[in-house]
Amino acid sequence: MDIDYNQLMSIGVYGSAIGLILIGLYAVLIKKHLTKIVIGLSIIDAGIHLLFIAIGYIKDGTAPIFSPGGLKALENGQPMVDPVPQALVLTAIVIGFAVTAVALSLVIRLYRHHQTARIDQIKSLKW
Amino acid sequence: MAAFLIPLLAKISKELVRIVPGLVIGYLSVVSVILMTQVINTGQPIIEVIGGWSPPFGINLVFSAFTGFLVSLMTFMAFLIWIYSYRFKKIDDAPAQKYFILFMMLVTGSIGIVLTGDIFNLFVFMEITAIAAYSLTAFYRDRDGAEAGFKYLLIGSFASALMLLAIVLLYTQVGTLNMAEIAQRMHTVPQGMKITIFTLFMVGLGIEAEMFPLNGWAPDAYSQSPGPVGVAFAALVVKAGVYSLIRVIFTLFDIHGAYEFLIIMGAITMVIAEISALKQTNLKRMLAYSSIGQMGFVLIAFGINTNAAVFGAIFLMFNHAVIKGLLFMSGSYLVYNTPSKEIKDMAGIGKKLPLVSLFFALGALAIVGLPPFSGFWSKLYILMAAADSSFYYLMGTILIVSIIEIVYYFRVMGRLYFGKPQNDVILQKPTFGGIVAMSVLAVVIITIGIHPDFISGFIQSAADTLLDKAGYINNVLQSTNL
Repeated sequence: MDIDYNQLMSIGVYGSAIGLILIGLYAVLIKKHLTKIVIGLSIIDAGIHLLFIAIGYIKDGTAPIFSPGGLKALENGQPMVDPVPQALVLTAIVIGFAVTAVALSLVIRLYRHHQTARIDQIKSLKW
Repeated sequence: MAAFLIPLLAKISKELVRIVPGLVIGYLSVVSVILMTQVINTGQPIIEVIGGWSPPFGINLVFSAFTGFLVSLMTFMAFLIWIYSYRFKKIDDAPAQKYFILFMMLVTGSIGIVLTGDIFNLFVFMEITAIAAYSLTAFYRDRDGAEAGFKYLLIGSFASALMLLAIVLLYTQVGTLNMAEIAQRMHTVPQGMKITIFTLFMVGLGIEAEMFPLNGWAPDAYSQSPGPVGVAFAALVVKAGVYSLIRVIFTLFDIHGAYEFLIIMGAITMVIAEISALKQTNLKRMLAYSSIGQMGFVLIAFGINTNAAVFGAIFLMFNHAVIKGLLFMSGSYLVYNTPSKEIKDMAGIGKKLPLVSLFFALGALAIVGLPPFSGFWSKLYILMAAADSSFYYLMGTILIVSIIEIVYYFRVMGRLYFGKPQNDVILQKPTFGGIVAMSVLAVVIITIGIHPDFISGFIQSAADTLLDKAGYINNVLQSTNL
């Protein structure tokens, strides 16, 4: 009985990506503290990024660069990993960073205004 | 054609705070109108390839009759907003710089959403718009802006996470990000996966487009943000959201039942929003709910999915931008003159601020769809299209909702003109720029109302382009390098 480590690995990566998304979702929906909600949003983002990278990865793939080493590996039948998801994740990380920064600055503003950072105590706006 | 990129460059030259944005936006709107007439005359969309990689490898911008019409509308409205906010009351020098940077970002993002031909680029531009919108919502320190902004941010970033997930799944299925190519390969995707991706997109984009269960952010954001920003939301952000929703549904997916879904969601949005508007006591919140209702109406019209209905929908998008722009512009002056922002305190302002009240009344009459104004035509076209496709229940709903709309707008107007003035102090008179912007919008509303043929040619070709899915795919994929 031999264990397919490759398959185990991919299940682990996909599972942890989905796990991260769910943890983030839990934090956003259940937690009452503003900072924790922002952290939850970041965790969701991280989970999606991990999923994205995992999709682009090919087992034993080399870096997708047209360098002498890379071309040699290609000739030897070694596959390259898909570069597109990596580029996208890089962009998405930058965007996520910007959103988190704006979110935290709003949290600071809210804290100064209300002297609290718990959402159940900030409710001057309603439907 | 590189003119599309000017808003990006404009962010660098932000030091000439007040003047430069206006010049840039003005130039952009002139260029886009010229390009639009050119595109319509030749019947061939302009496809700009960025970075020298031809589609499907590089990112491309598509300037067809439909996107061109929307871009012209957006830049035109942005220009008027610039005139309006040039000397707007609370914007002093240091905040003015921040304000205009954020405003330019908002315009850039919205135009980018409309023009891009790449699904991930759409996501990037949506985030640019969203970040600018969050910050603009929280622009004033003394109001509850931060709370509204945070609420918007929470919902918005959740939406973008879902959208990113949808893009990831879509990429695993079709292996490309170019929208034309996705549309081409869509039939290979299994049905279950298609519906999953579609749902994720609907939720993600529906938030930006103010679709019903997802629009909790809108009333707060509209009521707490500075006056001109409300106009920008109605004219730019929401339009871009609706555009991307429509693009995803019409071009990318061919799911059976998507259009019926759109009609049902639109009807629910419209009814709930108009009923909420009826019970609002705060003027800006009322306008915000009315705005949501109008978007529901647009979704219904797109969902009917005949040429006439799409024509009506695009016409309504145009009308909504112009009329709601006028309402928000005049409404925020009315609000500044009342201590509480409540409608009941606005009694008799019609006598003290005759011009502003006149503009507000004009906008209100136009948006409920009375004959001499432009709002009438779009409503008429959509109703006729609904009748043609024999959606009689839908027609009934639309008419009932119109009556609700009339009730709450006329209630405000009654207060304005027939109420007793409470105090004699005029807190804030409109600036010259504000009057110019509002007069331009009023003139547009009346001109289009009397003579709708003036723009119906543009709208007709826009509708044709949107429905011509095969043409879109061919044009994008064949353009190698212009």
